Amino acid sequence: LGGFTAVYDWVLFHGEGYREGYEQGSSLGVIEGRHYGTLHGARIGSEIGCYQGFAFAWRCLLHGCATERDSKKMKALESLIGMLQKFPYDDPTYDRLHEDLDRIRGKFKQVRPCRLSPRERARGVSVSPGCWGRGPRSRR
Amino acid sequence: MSWVQRATLVQGSGEEGDVFDEEADESLLVQREWRSHMLRRVKEGYRDGMDAGKAVTLQQGFNQGYKEGADVIINYGQLRGTLSALLSWCRLHDNGSALINKINNLLDAVGQCEEYVLRHLKSITSQPHVVDLLDSLQDMDLSHVAPAEKKMDEAKDERLCENNAELHKNCSKSLSEADCSSLECCRIREHARSENPSLTWILEQTAGLVKQLGVSLDVLQHLKQL
Repeated sequence: LGGFTAVYDWVLFHGEGYREGYEQGSSLGVIEGRHYGTLHGARIGSEIGCYQGFAFAWRCLLHGCATERDSKKMKALESLIGMLQKFPYDDPTYDRLHEDLDRIRGKFKQVRPCRLSPRERARGVSVSPGCWGRGPRSRR
Repeated sequence: MSWVQRATLVQGSGEEGDVFDEEADESLLVQREWRSHMLRRVKEGYRDGMDAGKAVTLQQGFNQGYKEGADVIINYGQLRGTLSALLSWCRLHDNGSALINKINNLLDAVGQCEEYVLRHLKSITSQPHVVDLLDSLQDMDLSHVAPAEKKMDEAKDERLCENNAELHKNCSKSLSEADCSSLECCRIREHARSENPSLTWILEQTAGLVKQLGVSLDVLQHLKQL
């Protein structure tokens, strides 16, 4: 009976502590997760937004030049825009997130017209992940 | 009264006498030992429960924050991309260094805006909601354990509450978590716009630049949400 009482006590008191701890842990988990999620989401949003802004503006600029209309660059640009429109940039559970992101980066390299200037290189802008211009420091 | 509180009260209520006191009644020793076991079980359970609760909601919180961060920052990325396109255009058409320098300065300014918004996002998401914080503080009133620690926690929580008060004054208890979260998202955007007048300035300058280049303002069409 003494052994049974000991097990019962363990279950009862451990269980009650567990219940309270679980409630606290649940709240803290949301806070902590949200903090990290925000940083990661912002990083992706910044990069994808840059590609979007560039692609839409560039398409508009090129439409004014009849000679560019049927070029390979124009086709690559339309392909990039299509990829960007399909990409769920705000969904971290998207199972092809990294593959699609790599494809978008590769397509952007085909589309962008010129290399970085010395000033942009001095800014420490990374060519591969995004547009030129100083994004948030946390990306570097 | 929470079990953790009850357990610590039980621990505190007995005398912390000399365990080798030969005059102590044996039943009193047994009682003390039982209390000590109970307290340990409750604390172990609390730790286990805390870990389990966190594991369950960490991903949920991450997904929520990810969407918020992406939705707020994407607009600044679009502005940067647009300016980059105009910069490339100027270079291709050899528009002169004055315009190129102007665009580079605007790009720097957008980067600063983005950093400002990101800092603000970080400070918001590292704080719990006021409602949840106050509820858990009430349940966790461990008044018999380490009064000095409790004073420090109270001061810290007061600061957290003050910082959150402004953010949550429009968020009543009847709103769901999702509603609060999207409200916060909107408030962050509004806050960034109102407290960061340079974004308006950047947009105006960009529009002026487009006119200078002789390009259609349609090139800025996708930025209308800014």
